Amino acid sequence: MSEMDNKIITIPEIATIEEIKDEIQDVKTFYLKFDNPEVDKNFKIKSGQFVMLTIFGAGESAISLPPSPEDDRFHLSVRKVGKVTDALHALQVGDKVGIRGPFGNGFPFEEIKGKNLIYVAGGIGLIPLRSSIVHALQHRDEFGRIIVLLGARTPDDLMYQYNIEEWLKIPGFECYVTVDQPTEGWTGHTGFVNSLIEKANVPVENTVAFVCGPPVMFNSVIGDLMKRGMKDDCIISTLERHMKCGIGKCQHCAIGRTLVCTDGPVYTYKQIKTLGEEI
Amino acid sequence: MYLIEKSNVMKLAEELAKSYELYGPVTDKETGQVFFSRVDNASEISLSAELPALPPKSVVFPQIERIMKYKYDRDAKKAEIEADYDKSSKAIFGMRPCDLTGLIVLDRFFLGQEFVDEVYREHRKRMFIVSNTCVVPFKQCFCVCTDSGPAADEGYDLNLTEIGDMYLVEAGSEKGKALAEKLGLKAAGDEYVALKKEVVDKSISLFEKVATDNKAWISRVMNRVTTGFIKEEVWEYIGKQCFECGACTFVCPTCSCFNVEDHNRFDGSTDRLRTWDSCSFEGYTKMAGDHNPRHPVEDRRNKRFFCKLSYSQSKKYLRPGCVGCGRCQWVCPGDIGLPNVVTYIRREITE
Repeated sequence: MSEMDNKIITIPEIATIEEIKDEIQDVKTFYLKFDNPEVDKNFKIKSGQFVMLTIFGAGESAISLPPSPEDDRFHLSVRKVGKVTDALHALQVGDKVGIRGPFGNGFPFEEIKGKNLIYVAGGIGLIPLRSSIVHALQHRDEFGRIIVLLGARTPDDLMYQYNIEEWLKIPGFECYVTVDQPTEGWTGHTGFVNSLIEKANVPVENTVAFVCGPPVMFNSVIGDLMKRGMKDDCIISTLERHMKCGIGKCQHCAIGRTLVCTDGPVYTYKQIKTLGEEI
Repeated sequence: MYLIEKSNVMKLAEELAKSYELYGPVTDKETGQVFFSRVDNASEISLSAELPALPPKSVVFPQIERIMKYKYDRDAKKAEIEADYDKSSKAIFGMRPCDLTGLIVLDRFFLGQEFVDEVYREHRKRMFIVSNTCVVPFKQCFCVCTDSGPAADEGYDLNLTEIGDMYLVEAGSEKGKALAEKLGLKAAGDEYVALKKEVVDKSISLFEKVATDNKAWISRVMNRVTTGFIKEEVWEYIGKQCFECGACTFVCPTCSCFNVEDHNRFDGSTDRLRTWDSCSFEGYTKMAGDHNPRHPVEDRRNKRFFCKLSYSQSKKYLRPGCVGCGRCQWVCPGDIGLPNVVTYIRREITE
């Protein structure tokens, strides 16, 4: 992160919305390109990082990065949930936004090489995990099993279905999907996402699990993984907090003795346990 | 080391006023309250005034500050962003050692971490600081407990110490030395080292008698706060007394949490404002979608004391976050200023 030190990080770079894709209800994906070609060329991210997104006239919010660090179009998938994201959803192709970042530590990609990777996502929890999944699949040979367990409220709430279909063509990629409230015509699994752990026969040895979703789902999934014998430092998650600066100054994202923006947003469950705060 | 007669000491301020925006303790004529104010004339400053009601934090970290402005023309798809940093040169005259320590803490936090805060750096870049040794403590002071007074060790360009009818002037930087030389101050003999020590020792000895409002023996408490071995009931007790007014954070020389808001103007442009915020406010941690991980007041309230007293936070400041000025105790309507909280926790330890 040392190259960031001398950069002016208070000022966003301007980017243009090139394409908008409707994902699920209230969630859209915005494909972006920086106006300054120099910035566009030098914009490098790590899986698990986030950016501060400015919607002109509305404000700034922390948004996680779903694209892979390599060969992936720069995009953000955002749920309409507050002032800034409401304003973002009202924008159209060609509109400008501001981007600062990327910020945060990111997933430990080097350290997990050679291991089985389990991704457990609830609803839009798949958004921050997508970057790591794509990155791992781009380096398929360097990992053991790659399993995605995906849960959603209804079949219409499943994120990135078109991506999953693509990924399933890659040999050795496993994906299990479940919904809590099946609708008519749903032939897949019904139940909470932790019920898939058994079904997928999730390995424990030499395995890293990435968990992201609402707090209730998060706690029950981690409980089940631990019951299977998974160690707490092999369970990785990414946390979200109210953020104002992204650079460790405003202190809004303080959790325990850490700041989510600079010490996180990626934490192992072992670290999360020591924070002593609600997730 | 230099010397200047008491009657001439304001000449330093007058000289500074020529090239700096001058700030200093000013006694309000009507209310008698002391504030750090921008002055046009050095004569408004009172070096002997009591501790200002607010620290000079606002000089480097204003309560409301525009950090950026932008204009987005949606029809033309044209966005213009312009940084707005304060590039003025400022001098603070007559800062007390506790407030100077507070400024050093802010420096370490804003400038010494992984990221440098540009906005803060611009405020600090061209600053001149004249500190003023407290030869007598005030009623609410406990800087001797927090190692931040009654005399400043570092961080000043010039430090003043009242000795008899003279002020001893110590230069802490080349800039300070240059000013003293420019005014032709006469050099102080070596005997003034001992004379200053005498004055400072006397000030320390007066704490017992004069500074009777607060005591906060923080070292054992720091250990407890860091390790988390404080019963939940203690925080609940403290939380119940909290009015969530945020006054303690606003008067604190080291509290620096801020909020960022975009305010639209009638001309179609927008100001990005950075404003003081407080960890005691309920909306502080509330996320979009209304999830608030720190909903109960005690969960929020203990964070301030964690910030001031825990070892992990002190690593960022290279000292405790509390500088012993006593202002939080002074303004708190719930009687849970930092010295009282320290007392509650110590009571629990002894029990």
